[in-house]
Amino acid sequence: MNKAGKNIGRRDFLKLLAGAYAYVTLNSPGLAGAQTSRYGKLADTTRCIGCKRCMSACKRWNKLEVERDELVSDRETDLSAQNWVVVNLRADDKNRSHRIYEHWACQHCIEPACAGVCPVKAITKLPRGNVVVNEKKCIGCRYCYQACPYKVPRFDFQKRVTRKCTLCHDRIPLLNYMKPACVAACPVDALSFGYKHEMILEAKKRVYKNENARYILGLKEAGGTDMLTILPTKPEDLGLIVAPIKVVNNNLDKLRVTGAGFMGAAALAGLMYTYASLTRENIQDDHDNRNEKQS
Amino acid sequence: MTTGTKNNLDIIFNHLENSRAFYIWVSILVSAAGLALYAILMSWIYSLEIFEFSAQVSWVTMVSNYVFLVVSSTGLCIVTSLGHVFGMQRYELISRRGVFLSLITIIFGMISIGAHLGHPERAMIFNLLTPNFRSAMWWMGTLYTFYIVFIAIEYWLLARPELIERSDQAQGAGEIIYSHMALKKLNNSRLGAVLKNHKLLQFVGAAALISGLSAHNTLGALFGHVEARPLWHGSYYPLYFLLSASFCGYAWLLAVSIATYKIKKEEIPENYKSLIFEMAQVLALLLSVGLVFTTYKMGFGLFAPEKVKPILLFLKGPFSRAFWLFEIGIGTVLPIAILLWAAPKKNIIGVLIASVMVLVGVYVMRYDFVVAAQVYPVIKNGLPSYLPAFMEVLFIGGLLGALFLTYILGEKFLPLKEEHRH
Repeated sequence: MNKAGKNIGRRDFLKLLAGAYAYVTLNSPGLAGAQTSRYGKLADTTRCIGCKRCMSACKRWNKLEVERDELVSDRETDLSAQNWVVVNLRADDKNRSHRIYEHWACQHCIEPACAGVCPVKAITKLPRGNVVVNEKKCIGCRYCYQACPYKVPRFDFQKRVTRKCTLCHDRIPLLNYMKPACVAACPVDALSFGYKHEMILEAKKRVYKNENARYILGLKEAGGTDMLTILPTKPEDLGLIVAPIKVVNNNLDKLRVTGAGFMGAAALAGLMYTYASLTRENIQDDHDNRNEKQS
Repeated sequence: MTTGTKNNLDIIFNHLENSRAFYIWVSILVSAAGLALYAILMSWIYSLEIFEFSAQVSWVTMVSNYVFLVVSSTGLCIVTSLGHVFGMQRYELISRRGVFLSLITIIFGMISIGAHLGHPERAMIFNLLTPNFRSAMWWMGTLYTFYIVFIAIEYWLLARPELIERSDQAQGAGEIIYSHMALKKLNNSRLGAVLKNHKLLQFVGAAALISGLSAHNTLGALFGHVEARPLWHGSYYPLYFLLSASFCGYAWLLAVSIATYKIKKEEIPENYKSLIFEMAQVLALLLSVGLVFTTYKMGFGLFAPEKVKPILLFLKGPFSRAFWLFEIGIGTVLPIAILLWAAPKKNIIGVLIASVMVLVGVYVMRYDFVVAAQVYPVIKNGLPSYLPAFMEVLFIGGLLGALFLTYILGEKFLPLKEEHRH
């Protein structure tokens, strides 16, 4: 009896766990992308030593140009068409002990705003999680740059297209055991790559164990991203861009904005019609008056 | 009017018998257009970077210029449609000029954005092949394509009677050109009868107005959808764009038609004059509504946490001079005062000055609107300066030069004057 009761209890417990998992998965935007088929990249800034081997490896794999002394100095480097990954020194102004090397690249949002605004569908979110620009299709309008909450897609003035990190989508499907170039190059294991749900668990474990790691960037920001970054403090303290928490590419919001405009247009047309009909009547009245006077 | 001319050579010679100032103007405009072509050529030979003010502010003068021109085009379409769509006969005086201006402003606006795009040729192909219905930019591009077609047909229908008249009076090449432009051979067919029907013009005008308003709304929505740019985000801009289009259209029509008459030293007909003063009063009214809108935006922006910083860029930041002096002073308050003074006194120069001021103010406003939103939140301490690059200035100057040149040529060779049907 007891044994049977225990068995049922365990099943119930498992059911409850599965139910809770499903509940969390379906409800929180941050975890909605934690599907087992999707990859994620984890950057641990508390481990990064700022050697910039990730930048160098990225440039080598993607055949990007190297600018002068950007790989050997702490000079602030910005993302560009030739810099898909940058490592910059960041410090918390309030607490100087929070000095980190921040590995920064495309965050591969679960619902990418760039893909939503691209007029010709040149940007796609691949099933594995990579957000990729089709450079043969891009028209170079830079709307994706405006819409991206992190300002990642940058314009290449020579090729006249927008380029950005692809999470090495040309590496992963060929050799499934291979990691993105930046992750493979990291000498101190500050970067890891794997299934998204494993990465979330790993990040939470590190935040739990390591007292310097306090914040996981990418769980909620911009509706959740497939790249996670462990930070010693909140992103705004480090001077990082703070993305809106709610889903950036919300279609309902778009409808609201556009609908307001259409209502305005209808109101304008109505006003014009009223103006026209009112003044037209006046003229007719004038004509009538004149005719009466003449007669 | 060129009705007295005997043949096409006479037409050309009569046009060329203008004053020296005309030649100087045309050569200035032609050379400006040449410089713009040079700038485009250089951008193709070297890189698009010569147009770029900063990699972080990726939409600058060409985008704001585009916005200005298409706002003008929609506004002109709105104002002219009062005449032949809504049936206000006195507005039919400005139909041809307004619709022609509307056509050339939208075309030059498209040239402006085409030079800004990395691959304009792909934009045409992939807009058709792989449309993204969730993107406001796709809707804008598609609707404006329809708009251009409708507005071109609208102008052709408006101009056709006089084109036929001109082909009857001209001889030789002039006759052939004008009769081909008017498709004179259709005259005795059934289609010709349809083309003469006023209902068709009304229908095409309504189609142009609807596509124009929708396209313009999606242009505002293009900015309104961008949640990552707090200044643009929201439903304010689609509405404000429609309003600013209206006053921009009035200002263009007033400025261009008065300036044309003054430069040609012709007397403005009495009914046209009374329409001008009516339009001046409407312009003053619309500008006051615009001022209310601006106050609303700034006032509410100060209380919205995400909008405070970009709003403060206008109120006391690097954009304050442009905002207070150009947008508020030259663009809104002074013109209202001048118009309210000039309209009752029947002072035509006052109306001209006020409407030119409105256009200058709106131009600066567009530039600020596009640039300031990109400064925050990316560039932390704002921009040190925000002057456009040299090549950009060449391009924009040349583009506007080519716009005015096209207008002058249109004024010479196409029927733009008021209709005498009524």
